[in-house]
Amino acid sequence: MTHRTRTTVLVFLLLLLVPLAVSGLTRLPAFGHYQGPYGDVINTITVHARHVTNMVSAVNYDIRGFDTLGEEFLLMSAVTGVAMLLRGGRGEATSARPTRVLRRRREGRSEAITGIGRLLAPITLLYGIYIIVHAQLTPGGGFQGGVIVFAAALLVYFGEGYASWRKTVRSTMLTLGETLGAAIYLCSGLYPLLSGAAFLQNTLPLGQIGTITSGGSIPIINLGVGCAVAAGFCSIALELLEETRLP
Amino acid sequence: MTHFPYFVAVWLFAIGVVGIVRSRDYVQLIACLTVIQSATYVLLLAIGYKVHAGAPIFSDHPVGSPAVDPVVQALVLTDIVVGAAVTALLLSLVIQLRKRRGTIAPDTLQPMSD
Repeated sequence: MTHRTRTTVLVFLLLLLVPLAVSGLTRLPAFGHYQGPYGDVINTITVHARHVTNMVSAVNYDIRGFDTLGEEFLLMSAVTGVAMLLRGGRGEATSARPTRVLRRRREGRSEAITGIGRLLAPITLLYGIYIIVHAQLTPGGGFQGGVIVFAAALLVYFGEGYASWRKTVRSTMLTLGETLGAAIYLCSGLYPLLSGAAFLQNTLPLGQIGTITSGGSIPIINLGVGCAVAAGFCSIALELLEETRLP
Repeated sequence: MTHFPYFVAVWLFAIGVVGIVRSRDYVQLIACLTVIQSATYVLLLAIGYKVHAGAPIFSDHPVGSPAVDPVVQALVLTDIVVGAAVTALLLSLVIQLRKRRGTIAPDTLQPMSD
């Protein structure tokens, strides 16, 4: 199909779709006048039912926990897919010394960049861990904190270069983190079955509202997710950066 | 203008579809796919929004004060992270394609166009 016919078909279809979408959307409740019952119910009862103050984390790791398990494995299979696709063409050579690097500046990195990287990477790492462990109390959680930890790892790459990055971020550590994250999630799902409760049911002691250990299984699952997200994103970056290495 | 954010979502979706149909290489196509994905974020967050309501986090304001829907926020949150990983997967497909076929333009890859 040529570009011209494709565009013509597109314009025709959009002319069909847009009025349908507009007529459908104008019948939704007006913006800012939310009417669904679920959000209000969760906002009203969850603080006392689960002893957590961040409702989004409560939804993610407890009320909708089974869905998040699916998301976690989706993330894991995407990371596995990246690794398989790229290693399929390159070979299983992540253990090779990353000394010969194609088109990557190895000398003369600006001292300002190295200095800022050294300053910011630990702070960012600490901030990421803070965001992960306070998931059930304040805004944040395993997904967000995991990505911030990944940003800290990238700052090491920007500041110190590829070889040092490979020395800091070990690929065995990443595999371990990814697997451990999924295992923690699965185990905290299977653990309630021992006492006759349902899969992923929150049977652990709930603790005091506002403390870091409150929420029963929510902080544990959240820690697993943080682990898996940080390790998964670092693996993706590792595989993509390995692509530029000379064979 | 009470439905304005919904139309922003439709606009993002439509412009993403236009980009995909008219794209001349796969990197552009994947970027358009993420634009379409962001249309779902706008739509979900707009549906859960309530005027004069705070975030659904009760660490600093009392339970029972008005707050927006946490369910859609949780959906968007996980989707952003997983979407980024899936985008990486698609981009690594493009890298392999470039290695095998030497091109990333969809038009030159069609089996019919010799």
